[in-house]
Amino acid sequence: MSKLSILAAKTSFKLLSLVGRGGSMPGTIALKVDPNSLSKLHFRGPVILVTGTNGKTSTANMISSLFEKAGKKVVSNRKGDNLKAGITSALLQNTKGDGTVDADVVVLEVDELNVRHILPFIPVSVLVVNNFFRDQLDRAREMEQLIESIENVLPDFKGTLVLNGNDPNTVRLALKAPHAKAMYFGLDRTPYSFTESREASEGKFCPRCNTKLEYEYYQYSHIGKFHCPGCGFETPEFDVQLDQIDLNRQTFDYKGHRFQGPYEGMYSMYNYAAVLTVLEKYNLPLSAFEKMLKDAPHPAGRNERFKKGNKEVVLNLVKNPTGANEVMKVIERDGTKKAIVIVLNDHEQDGTDVSWIYDTQFEKFMNPQTSAVICSGTRAGDMALRMYYGNFQGDLSVESSIESAVNKALEKSDTVYVVATYTALLPSRKAIMKELNV
Amino acid sequence: MIVKCAWMYHDIMDLYGDKGNIMTLTSRAKSRGIDFQVTTVGIGQEADLSDFDLVFMGGGADKEQVALIPDLLSRKDNIQKALDENTFFLLICGGYQLFGQYYETADKEKIEGLKFADYYTATGKAKSRCIGNIIIDAPLDGINLRLIGFENHGGQTMNVAHPLGKVVHGYGNSFDGGFDGGFEGYYDGHILGTYLHGPLLPKNGQLADFVLTKAIQKRNPEFTFDQLAPIDQPWEGIARKALLDRWKLEDRAEVHNN
Repeated sequence: MSKLSILAAKTSFKLLSLVGRGGSMPGTIALKVDPNSLSKLHFRGPVILVTGTNGKTSTANMISSLFEKAGKKVVSNRKGDNLKAGITSALLQNTKGDGTVDADVVVLEVDELNVRHILPFIPVSVLVVNNFFRDQLDRAREMEQLIESIENVLPDFKGTLVLNGNDPNTVRLALKAPHAKAMYFGLDRTPYSFTESREASEGKFCPRCNTKLEYEYYQYSHIGKFHCPGCGFETPEFDVQLDQIDLNRQTFDYKGHRFQGPYEGMYSMYNYAAVLTVLEKYNLPLSAFEKMLKDAPHPAGRNERFKKGNKEVVLNLVKNPTGANEVMKVIERDGTKKAIVIVLNDHEQDGTDVSWIYDTQFEKFMNPQTSAVICSGTRAGDMALRMYYGNFQGDLSVESSIESAVNKALEKSDTVYVVATYTALLPSRKAIMKELNV
Repeated sequence: MIVKCAWMYHDIMDLYGDKGNIMTLTSRAKSRGIDFQVTTVGIGQEADLSDFDLVFMGGGADKEQVALIPDLLSRKDNIQKALDENTFFLLICGGYQLFGQYYETADKEKIEGLKFADYYTATGKAKSRCIGNIIIDAPLDGINLRLIGFENHGGQTMNVAHPLGKVVHGYGNSFDGGFDGGFEGYYDGHILGTYLHGPLLPKNGQLADFVLTKAIQKRNPEFTFDQLAPIDQPWEGIARKALLDRWKLEDRAEVHNN
């Protein structure tokens, strides 16, 4: 039976790749032939899962690349989706006839709600969890149910949890995993830390006794040093801690070495720390980490820069208030005169509920340096209302086409920031390239 | 003129951009030269709610909501006093549920409410979560408003004697109420409870003005809705049209026989 499903998937993958498809389809077929396909596979090396709300794609990619730089053969779902079928596809494509996955290391990015469909069925060595934030609540329901769905599969887990020690929602997972080892990563107080939370926050209450958590400081959102006055649940000691954080230079220190990363923002520092924890767990050399950083591709829509003459456009994807707040900080740090285009769509993949725009601190760029805000997308009017009620004093307008929005912004300023939701990202990039003629 | 607003549990009940409601009230009051003063009231914080013209409470996740119940129930007499003295209550989602008889959490735990109204909220059956854009027509003291928002609730609120409005598109108080027979929210002249977020007030400026009027009337009983000068901005119309057009609806409330 298992051989049949592996065969079915491999055959379908070959057929689909001939007609230019693939993706999660082979996995879907394999799971139809044998719903237990995953548990029939054999692995000859560690299996690492990466999950969490923000940063799981870059973290999983960095971990894959780290092992590759250390000379290992890695199988990952880098090119596929992070749901059960996509993961099954990625594994089966690299499975030999005897059912063994042909890899020294398997690294899988897993959607939070799919961890329960993966973790119990393959021999997972490490589960990396970055953070939990509210993310498109209309899709994922409330975050609490999402965390519980992961907790429910942890009682029998015997591998290692690699957890963000500054997020009470990830630290709490260790409470439900009596047979697992836990390693924590985090950051000490930085010049960017603050003592009053001003951002939409999760994890306000102790997961063990429900008392309100106290914070010594926050790094961003609800990520910080916490302590429960009721039962003592608190930020654990870190196995990996980054120091000397400089967000302008995008540098940090670890074990006396200074590293420069390709990604901006405080949240990226946590992703590096997660990768370094995996490095420590497998005793990989720091030189592999350094090589990985140097060769890391700049991800699409993460401060993606387009230049032509003295004109520059910076494109950013936003998908939830926490990610969006980090983007706002990046815009705030750029003191040049600028115009901003915000493209707000409300299709299924964007999240059909746009209320998150009120949990996002657009006020960060509402200063004299921002001369104009141009709103576009299916919910442009809602975005303009947000600007209006946020008391934006500059030039506010709505454009139905993204191209004319970008065009108008370039007329108003040499520096333009474009902020787009998921389904608006590619159309925005096209519009930028067309208007800049690059 | 001054309007004093208490924002209950602002740090817990803020699940769906509810701070947008406070931003809207503040801005629209200011445009009319009214000083809208907001005081946040958290767990354990002493406050005489009857001293305020308006009390606002938003929605939270189940777990967070449960944590504030003892504090809320301890304020029951004070809330009764505030209602008797014409303080207006604007309640969204969780706040709305907690003013009824009881509500059941997703795992069927029964949480006692403040019992200021007869309605109660039961856990819906599987796959009966009400999610999506919602449009309702609300008759408010003779003013008919078409309200647009987003709903996302598993709880099914039943036995609502005075609903806020008739559902034009969406679910409303309960999944089974369905498209045609459905009603949404609760309104009795003192308490306005609703599942509409989005947030509620930015896209429903006239409702914001109605809430301001109710709050002002506490100290100025003669004040009327018409005394608030119109506000000229195109954005609300654009935002409303984008949604109304999807269901080929006019931007005008129909009068229903509730």
